[in-house]
Amino acid sequence: MLRRALWLGWGRGLLGLGLGTRRGVSTLEWDGKVSEIKKKIQSVIPGGAWNPLYDTSHLPPEHSDVVIVGGGVLGLSVAYWLKRLEKQRGAIKVLVVERDHTYSQASTVLSVGGIRQQFSLPENIQLSLFSVEFLRNINEYLAVVDDPPLDLQFNPSGYLFLASEKGAATMENNVKVQRQEGAKVCLMSPEQLRNKFPWINTEGVALASYGLENEGWFDPWSLLQGLRRKVQSMGVLFCQGEVTRFVSSSDRMETPSGEEVILKKIHEVHVKVDHSQEYQPVECAIVVNTAGAWSGQIAELAGIGKGPPGTLQGTKLPVEPRKRYVYLWHCPQGPGLEAPLLADPSGAYFRRDGLGNNYLGGCSPTAEEEPDPGNLEVDHDFFQDKVWPLLAQRVPAFETLKVKSAWAGYYDYNTFDQNGVVGPHPLVVNMYFATGFSGHGLQQAPAVGRAVAEMVLEGHFQTIDLSPFLFSRFYLGEKAQEHCII
Amino acid sequence: MLKIIFPSIMLMPLTWLSKNNMIWINPTVYSLLISLISLSTLNQYSDISTNFSLLFFSDALSAPLLVLTTWLLPLMLIASQSHLSKEPLTRKKVYITMLILLQVLLIMTFTASELIMFYVLFEATLVPTLIIITRWGSQAERLNAGSYFLFYTLSGSLPLLVALVYIQNTTGSLNFLIMQYWNQPLMDSWSNALLWLACMMAFMVKMPLYGLHLWLPKAHVEAPIAGSMVLAAVLLKLGGYGMLRLTTMLNPLTEYMAYPFLMLSLWGMIMTSSICLRQTDLKALIAYSSVSHMALVIVAILIQTPWSYMGATTLMVAHGLTSSMLFCLANTNYERTHSRTMILARGLQTLLPLMAMWWLLASLANLALPPTINLLGELFVVMSAFSWSNITIILMGANMMITALYSLYMLIMTQRGKHTHHINNIKPTYTRENTLMALHMLPLLMLSLNPKIIMGLTY
Repeated sequence: MLRRALWLGWGRGLLGLGLGTRRGVSTLEWDGKVSEIKKKIQSVIPGGAWNPLYDTSHLPPEHSDVVIVGGGVLGLSVAYWLKRLEKQRGAIKVLVVERDHTYSQASTVLSVGGIRQQFSLPENIQLSLFSVEFLRNINEYLAVVDDPPLDLQFNPSGYLFLASEKGAATMENNVKVQRQEGAKVCLMSPEQLRNKFPWINTEGVALASYGLENEGWFDPWSLLQGLRRKVQSMGVLFCQGEVTRFVSSSDRMETPSGEEVILKKIHEVHVKVDHSQEYQPVECAIVVNTAGAWSGQIAELAGIGKGPPGTLQGTKLPVEPRKRYVYLWHCPQGPGLEAPLLADPSGAYFRRDGLGNNYLGGCSPTAEEEPDPGNLEVDHDFFQDKVWPLLAQRVPAFETLKVKSAWAGYYDYNTFDQNGVVGPHPLVVNMYFATGFSGHGLQQAPAVGRAVAEMVLEGHFQTIDLSPFLFSRFYLGEKAQEHCII
Repeated sequence: MLKIIFPSIMLMPLTWLSKNNMIWINPTVYSLLISLISLSTLNQYSDISTNFSLLFFSDALSAPLLVLTTWLLPLMLIASQSHLSKEPLTRKKVYITMLILLQVLLIMTFTASELIMFYVLFEATLVPTLIIITRWGSQAERLNAGSYFLFYTLSGSLPLLVALVYIQNTTGSLNFLIMQYWNQPLMDSWSNALLWLACMMAFMVKMPLYGLHLWLPKAHVEAPIAGSMVLAAVLLKLGGYGMLRLTTMLNPLTEYMAYPFLMLSLWGMIMTSSICLRQTDLKALIAYSSVSHMALVIVAILIQTPWSYMGATTLMVAHGLTSSMLFCLANTNYERTHSRTMILARGLQTLLPLMAMWWLLASLANLALPPTINLLGELFVVMSAFSWSNITIILMGANMMITALYSLYMLIMTQRGKHTHHINNIKPTYTRENTLMALHMLPLLMLSLNPKIIMGLTY
């Protein structure tokens, strides 16, 4: 400021117009140099960020209390609740390691984005109920100062599950459980179906359950960005990298029955930077595995599953990526604005997308038709051969439609019982899981994040008891089977 | 004094020439023997200092601190064994050499009879400490911590050099033994005020005084365990020792020059104690508690009564042992959970009951439980401050209460409650760690039986 005052005073007074340009140029140069010198001085004196060795700003820090592997909606949700439930601000240092910051293959953003309470397990229903309350009040939970409010584009249009004669009894039982937990679901006969949704062909439908409230779909990308923004404002560190190694220390211990077990504790995570051999060992106290479709690989890195099969040591994390296709089509004579997300007993489903007569949907393939999860290429013949006939049979208006685009995404598929794995591993004592939700992870993410944060901070589940979802069920063989899977 | 200094210097070749499996045992055992020798200096006839030579002497003030310094070296070596176990052999030897060098310089500092020699050694102790913090600290922030530590202390002590040279020029000698008989009152003038400030600021930064304490949490938190131990136990006391020596020749100016520092200390001890209540990092909590205790010492030294001098010396020794023990306990936690956050390592009492006992004893000592010497020191300081001004009792009483609050908070947070799942398989306590805690606690408890040996010059 002094410089500017000097320049103005001298320029006008002493040198006049003739030397004005030259003066202007030389002043700018001097200006630049002075600010450079100032910056240099500021970086050297204590308090600056000068590192005399070499620049490591692209690497994660050398120490972090919690390392969350995977920065999708579940990882960010765990980070959010860890920061929210810590008793004092800044108590825990959290680091989220995400391999791909464009989220090009992440299940979160490729998801259809539906949320429903129509599950058969009470825990699933409670998880979804809390999550929908979170989503409805998203701007109270994820408010960041000076940032615009989030618009999740939540369409509360509900889910409509159709059941044939075979599945009608199960559906009735499920609806009873759902009502007990507090979900607002109603059962409809084919007659009522035809009255409410005249575009459905009710042939073969014995019973339908329709979610009246708190069900629908939303934009997962907005949720992800909102979480990311909020979590960064709460002080969570992000780094781009891939976890390549866990360094752990193990201990032989004896159980009360005299059996010997080896307990492991991960104390260092090696994070490798993209396109480089550089890696940073991050010293950590807790690792949270929310790597989604790749959780199985991360678990193997930690040594889970290395042992004789049939023992707890040899029980692998049964989560693997399964590719699912989603197709977007345009149908002017389609069901219109009041269409819920319809789930056919044959496995096909669709929902309205936007207000321009676009619909998106797909179908879960049978075991023989499972596509190869190596890449995310779309098989358009699958739509022609399998999905379209089912859709056209259920909704006659869909006989004429035009497919506009399609994409594929991964389910982090739990081959054991298609429900999530939550909580610590019994042997690798400081690895916590929040993965394996097989297609309904996005809708349960807020509640699962809170459960994992409670487990980490308190040692037990406090609000929703997710003990049926612990890892030990894989060894004990107790399936927490979910029947309403799309 | 050479009988202590030479063996300490010879510890260095001992380390370098030891066999690989004796590299920890040799220095530890020999330094324990050296500390036994230094105990003989504690046998003080009052008012007469024991003059070993023209250069070294020990009196009732420097002897307790000397014994503390020599006692601490074997403890530092015992504490460092675990985190250095993975380093290559030469690096281990360099680390031990740094510790021994620091020890030698500290011994000479505490026994120096001439002030310029004291100053040179005072500055020299910065170098091994800086090396230990910046090379062997565990996180990237240690470089920042090292620069804070170095520059704060350096810039505080350069005026001291100028002042000492000036005094040497005007009075002809800076030897303690001569100065105490020759003492002239310092007249009231601007230049004398500056002289007073120049003399005192170095030690204020070192203590640290509340406004100049920024380097301490950083340095303590980022330093490895031996660095934290020596910083908390001995290096802070260098400041106290220097102040105690220099205030004898800075009268009567101290009477009113000391007011700002007294206010800062009185306020600062409550502030830093309150900060401790909100800390989540265990080492930061102990670091701030050091600032709080040292603020009491500053108040005591600046009041300049016989009782307060006794309190200051007692508190210095007591705090040295207690703080060092707390840092060792925090380090055992850190080695197991790899995190310094308190909430991630809770409920340890059920898993490690003996360590819980050490935690309990250390926390009780920290909150000045009778009959420990911590209480004696604090009591003397509180009483003399009350006679200086009645209002200080409110502040000091509040400080004692908050100290009790955060010590118990630290104890309950780490020991009680339900333990979290991920500390299921922490390693049980090593005998080495139990020895370390016992070697801290035993002197502390035994001194409460005979505290007069640490009560300093005015007993």
